[in-house]
Amino acid sequence: MAFLSQFFAVYGSLVNFIGINALLALSLYVTLSAGQLSLGNAAFAGIGAYTAGILTMRFHMPYAISVAAGAGLAAVIALLIGLPVLRIRGIFLAMATLAFGEVVRIAAVNLDITGGAQGLVGIPNKTTTCTIYGVLAATAYFLAVLRGSKVGWSLAAIREDETAAMALGINTARYKTLAFVLGAFIAGIAGAIYAHLNFIITPGEFGFSAAVQLLIYNIVGGMQSVYGPMLGAFILTALPEVLRGVSLSAGPLRLGINGVILLLVILYLPNGLISFLKGPNRVSRI
Amino acid sequence: MRMESPNSLKGIAAALALILATTGICSAAHAARKEARIGFAFSMTGGASAYGDTQKKGAQLAVDEINSRAGQDGIEIVADFDDDASQPQQGINVFNRFIAADKVVMIIGPTLSNTAQAADRIAQQSGVPVLAVSNTAKGITDIGDYIFRDSLTEMAVIPNTIRVAKEKLGIRKVAVLYGNDDAFTKGGYDAFKKALGDSNIEVLSEQTFAKGDRDFSPQLTQIRSVNPDALVVSALVEEASGIVSQARQLGIPPSVHIIGGNGFNSPSLMKNAGKAAEGVIVGASWNAASSSPLNRKFVEAYTARYGSPPDQFAAQAYAAVYIAREALGRAGSTDNQKALRDALAQTGGLDTVLGKFSFTEGRDADHTPVVQVVKEGKFVIFGE
Amino acid sequence: MSVLVQQLINGFFIGSVYGLFAIGYTLVFGVLDILNLAHAAVFTLGGLTALWLVATGGLSIWVAFPLAVLFSGALGLLLDRIAFAPLRRRAASNLSGLISSIAMAIIFESAALGIFGARTVRFPQGLLVNRVWHFESVTVTSLQVEIVLSALVLMLALTACLRYTRTGKAIRAVAESERTARLLGINVDGVIAVTFFVSSALGGAAGILYGLYFDALAPDMGRSIELKGLAVIILGGMGSIPGAILGGIAFGLSEVLTVALTGTSNLRDAVAFSVLLVILILRPTGLLGRGRVREA
Repeated sequence: MAFLSQFFAVYGSLVNFIGINALLALSLYVTLSAGQLSLGNAAFAGIGAYTAGILTMRFHMPYAISVAAGAGLAAVIALLIGLPVLRIRGIFLAMATLAFGEVVRIAAVNLDITGGAQGLVGIPNKTTTCTIYGVLAATAYFLAVLRGSKVGWSLAAIREDETAAMALGINTARYKTLAFVLGAFIAGIAGAIYAHLNFIITPGEFGFSAAVQLLIYNIVGGMQSVYGPMLGAFILTALPEVLRGVSLSAGPLRLGINGVILLLVILYLPNGLISFLKGPNRVSRI
Repeated sequence: MRMESPNSLKGIAAALALILATTGICSAAHAARKEARIGFAFSMTGGASAYGDTQKKGAQLAVDEINSRAGQDGIEIVADFDDDASQPQQGINVFNRFIAADKVVMIIGPTLSNTAQAADRIAQQSGVPVLAVSNTAKGITDIGDYIFRDSLTEMAVIPNTIRVAKEKLGIRKVAVLYGNDDAFTKGGYDAFKKALGDSNIEVLSEQTFAKGDRDFSPQLTQIRSVNPDALVVSALVEEASGIVSQARQLGIPPSVHIIGGNGFNSPSLMKNAGKAAEGVIVGASWNAASSSPLNRKFVEAYTARYGSPPDQFAAQAYAAVYIAREALGRAGSTDNQKALRDALAQTGGLDTVLGKFSFTEGRDADHTPVVQVVKEGKFVIFGE
Repeated sequence: MSVLVQQLINGFFIGSVYGLFAIGYTLVFGVLDILNLAHAAVFTLGGLTALWLVATGGLSIWVAFPLAVLFSGALGLLLDRIAFAPLRRRAASNLSGLISSIAMAIIFESAALGIFGARTVRFPQGLLVNRVWHFESVTVTSLQVEIVLSALVLMLALTACLRYTRTGKAIRAVAESERTARLLGINVDGVIAVTFFVSSALGGAAGILYGLYFDALAPDMGRSIELKGLAVIILGGMGSIPGAILGGIAFGLSEVLTVALTGTSNLRDAVAFSVLLVILILRPTGLLGRGRVREA
């Protein structure tokens, strides 16, 4: 018991961040599972976070309603953006969603209601470790079920070959939009519960590097199952603390080791770290 | 889930390491020389690494000076330096570690106000005093009665700067340029705007830039076209030197004074802007040119050790260690956080490199700000 | 009126800087269809290395410049060998290449931070003669003119190389189809290595010019230009050499015109990225289309 309470005193926040980052990784996993490379999920998390934070602070909404509204708004905006944007393919879609993300970040910097560069400060701390892992477990379960369903097969077909999927009579536009909006919804939830964790959210936390980080979680963890992105988020979020634990806290060196580990995974574990746990598997096509 | 086994294994390993560390601290506390363990959270990587770097150097210098004399007065500082990577998440992790694992008696840092907003609350809840050395955002010390800062806020520095500039130069209309995506520079802008309004100075044009921008000519061209008496800038030195040199290059004449805040108070301004820096007015918390023996000794020791002169970040970090040391002496204990908090709160009239230093009721810094001007490549007191 | 003229000059100039950065970026994309996100780190290391050669090595800038450019090119070879060649051998996806380039970017940046420190530094004053000309109230400097000219000359030279030289033709063949090029007896790995060398050398050269003009070099200086560089190569059509320069100028002009027309600069980046978003929606492959390396 003493072990556990000491562990949580030191690593409690880290455990929370791992859960949030795992949820964010899953949000991108949904979009990627339809073959759509989006760099907009950090921005959707930002929309969820700011919406929920503002509702709680300014309008004294209950936690659950704030979170639901944050996730809902992220999904609605994803629908509006997705209709024109999802016609774009591959790296160009990545760039379009990146541009969208920058516009959202700059809006958060310039608006008054978001608190500008100083961030939205003083959001009550209402998120518990239980909430985070409850939501994460529910999301992971839902996505695992979805993967085995007809929707999951359709998404996989689009990912493997969009033209062939269309020829099979799959309504590709509808499924792509579904994946995009679902991803945004999950990102919105993650953002909204994150907003109630640290007392403060700032525009910079939802920018380009955050968007790229989500992609890294998916690639490093592996995308064959819902466990991959979560594993990626777990390892990479814990890594700085692990390196700190072995007294590697000299800044630049630690940064460099981060890079080397990322490189080694990409070069030697093509299916991500999850392939360690699951044994040999078919090669990912994403 | 499969993830559970590595998780709990790591937990056990970490807990074992913690027990070892804790026993280490306990036995140290019983030793004859009293050791005070202080955690320093500075940004060694990420966007604020340039500031975290000099903060660490300044703090390290002070710690070494104090420890070399520990034989005389008995208190030795054990410094734990850690990197908050300029991110709130990592700052929180560092604070948790300092508080729960390293059992520090106080924390100095973190570098950025945004990180402080999140991390300081943990220290407040755990009853561990925090002394901020560079947080200038509004509301940091309102987090609670364990949060202190020795960094004068822009609200404390800028009104004085504007008043002096108005008196001596007779400026009536100005243009403002500021970084709008950074808490420090945005806070500076808010302070300038209020001070300009209070002094009845007209603002002809307001322009913004983003962190990392190096080209300011579009904004400066707009500013040039409205012919202000002075150009008021809220920027950190990386951007400040570029703004100053590009303003002069674009033909904004030296008669249009450039006025900056705390962010300008670094030797890099003259180094990077060269001749264009001449005449720039800098309102700041630390007077680099102060001839007080304490300050002269600090500048000499720092320059000798690191090969370049200190900036304000280094000076504030250096001062913080001495403020902490003095309070530790009065607290009568090197591991009682409550006693240290009370001692810190009573700090008054202490001689530091920042000048005579006290904390206000609200635990903010209280000392006289300076208004400097760049003359022949050096900061001197404006108007002397 | 003179404000508008000055702003157009400003936009033309900063646009050329973006173009210089983007030209090497777009070359790798045109040949290999991968985004090399380590390009910004090579840009930074090129500038910092030149500074080190001048300040610590005591070399003249005219010697340091080509040496640092060669060094940047060598970094490109290293990048290819470590991060991309192994992935090519197992025919991995483009996404893997993207991530391994991010890993290399992190490694390069930590090296820059560890070796050169976090401070913003500059080339010694008076290294280059920078004349300032005032026409009425319009200001132009000789360094600005030189940078715009370098961008244009590099664009023409690179286009000509791709079109007329043997290596250029081989690069275009590989860009068209690696497999066909191999069948034709072209040393594909050699050609890709050359592409990385040229791309990174250009990136390093851009970093040095950037450092010389703005008097500010820092380990994170590539970050702010990275996103704009991406926007530029899309505007220009990814893989198009003239498109990189023209896209750069278009992006630069859109920035300054936002400032000039609205009188404030808050919206500058928002407008630039909104324009990018709209262009992508209307023309999903960029303004000048793609695949121009192939046609050159």
